[in-house]
Amino acid sequence: MKIKVLISFFLFIAAALVFISATNDDGYGPYAPTPLKFVIPTGWPKPPTDIFAKNKLTEEGFQLGKKLFYDPRLSSDKEISCASCHQPFAGFATFDHDLSHGVLNTFTTRNAPALMNLAWMTAYHWDGGINHIEVQPLSPLTAPNEMGSALDTVLLFLKADTSYKRLFKKAFGDANITSQRMLKALAQFTGSLITANSKYDRVMNGRDSFSRFEANGYKHFKVHCASCHKEPLFTDNSFRNNGRPINRFKDNGRMMITGLAGDSLKFKVPSLRNVQYSYPYMHDGSIFSVPQVVDHYMKVTAAQPKGLDSNLGSPIKLTPLQKNELSYFLYTLTDTSFTKSKRFGPDGPVFFKH
Amino acid sequence: MIRSLFKKICSCIAFVLLCNLFSYAQVSFKFNITANGKPLLLNDSSYTNGFNEAYQVTRLKYYISNILFKGDDVMLFNERVLLMDAGNTDSIVFPSSNGNYHSLDFTIGVDSALNCSGAQDEALDPLNGMFWTWNSGYIFFKLEGYSPASKADLGRIEHHVGGYRFPNNVARRITLPFPRKLEVKAGSKHTIIVNIDLDKYWKGISDIKIADQALLMTPGRLAIKAADNFQGMFSIKSIE
Repeated sequence: MKIKVLISFFLFIAAALVFISATNDDGYGPYAPTPLKFVIPTGWPKPPTDIFAKNKLTEEGFQLGKKLFYDPRLSSDKEISCASCHQPFAGFATFDHDLSHGVLNTFTTRNAPALMNLAWMTAYHWDGGINHIEVQPLSPLTAPNEMGSALDTVLLFLKADTSYKRLFKKAFGDANITSQRMLKALAQFTGSLITANSKYDRVMNGRDSFSRFEANGYKHFKVHCASCHKEPLFTDNSFRNNGRPINRFKDNGRMMITGLAGDSLKFKVPSLRNVQYSYPYMHDGSIFSVPQVVDHYMKVTAAQPKGLDSNLGSPIKLTPLQKNELSYFLYTLTDTSFTKSKRFGPDGPVFFKH
Repeated sequence: MIRSLFKKICSCIAFVLLCNLFSYAQVSFKFNITANGKPLLLNDSSYTNGFNEAYQVTRLKYYISNILFKGDDVMLFNERVLLMDAGNTDSIVFPSSNGNYHSLDFTIGVDSALNCSGAQDEALDPLNGMFWTWNSGYIFFKLEGYSPASKADLGRIEHHVGGYRFPNNVARRITLPFPRKLEVKAGSKHTIIVNIDLDKYWKGISDIKIADQALLMTPGRLAIKAADNFQGMFSIKSIE
């Protein structure tokens, strides 16, 4: 009798436990995050800050960030995603457009910068106005000539979507959708966009060799370009006046952030990785090809306009052959394992309105 | 948002109070905003600044942080950043230990580290409309409204005072000494009214004329001028 009582007591406890664990299930699936390791490519410096210090990198966070990145429904007209202007096949820049296009056929006033190796940057945008990778998306999401939405509208949309609730649960432990979580997930995706597998990288790691043309181009590069486009990231992330005249948008670049007259017409030195695909070039997309960029530098270093960066103090003189060699070297910075990456690319077919 | 935050704080405090019913007292600070000596009403009354410019206020929000409640032998610290809103009745509650208290110190603004360490939540959630999206950093003090003196579109006033980078940091430490010491005994409850006089925002150390600067939306010289008036706006109105 006593044993029976005891057994039924234990059965009751077991049933209660099952019941409790069942009621704890919120219907959005399990939470078992897979940690991801941030790997610094061979020979590269350590990033200046740890962008993931307060944002634990996980496969689930990355996947959520990727879905957000390719989702045009975050924009006001439901047609523009982050990827509209940051296209994987263009090295996450805008293919062929001088200026990026926003919602309802609007234009921006700048050329979308290529998203790559962002963990090595401490300021984002051409003018460096953004001080942390996590807060960058606030700008394109809300700018009327980009995604044209509002943060509360975006969050309402996400909260109404069960698949997002599941992904937020998977990434963060519960289905609560907040701006902070959305921004951290996006940073996990964009901060993981590392391109370090070009022919240049293979040559540096002793797994390939330059052609004679490319090797000559590399020599010209080191003489004329490398002080600002510093290897191995091909940028020193500084802000410089490269001699482009003030454009029709009266875009003063860095000065608009610092308020310092000395920063007039200074823009961020972009990385040259995947430069073959990220044309047109410069902050306003006003130069369409690599040889034309070289022409620009030959011209401004000869003319020395006021305010030109001191690194451009002496004339750059290259013969047509040398110019070609330099271009060929720059094309060795193309990393097709990055531009065609399945991991970084959209999961299904995506319509890029751009 | 901010209400739920205060509810959370209040419930924490209630819990602490229950646990220490006999050893703790409670001191609340209420923040009242006035203009022309009258309580500020949003979207309604018209006020006049020291330059005889009429104006209406539609929105007034500001951050306070690093709040210190100081006594002779005791100092209480509230580590939260609070977003104060003229549309709500805000108060800060300290469960206080016995002692003689003499001042309240706080910062109008947000510590520079919190301006540049990524996405934040609660009071610092960008959803609160207090974060610049194109030039990262918080708006520390936001005053919006209309004035016939404004030369901006629709007669708008938009003062977004912020900036954390040197030399344009506009976080300002406010020190409010009490007119008399407040003696706190076990179990007692006190309310201290902090008055914010909007008249002093326009005319203080700096002159801010709506006709000259109806719009102020970037860190820099004008924001510093505005922030220099913060200290003069605050005073202790009463201690009960």
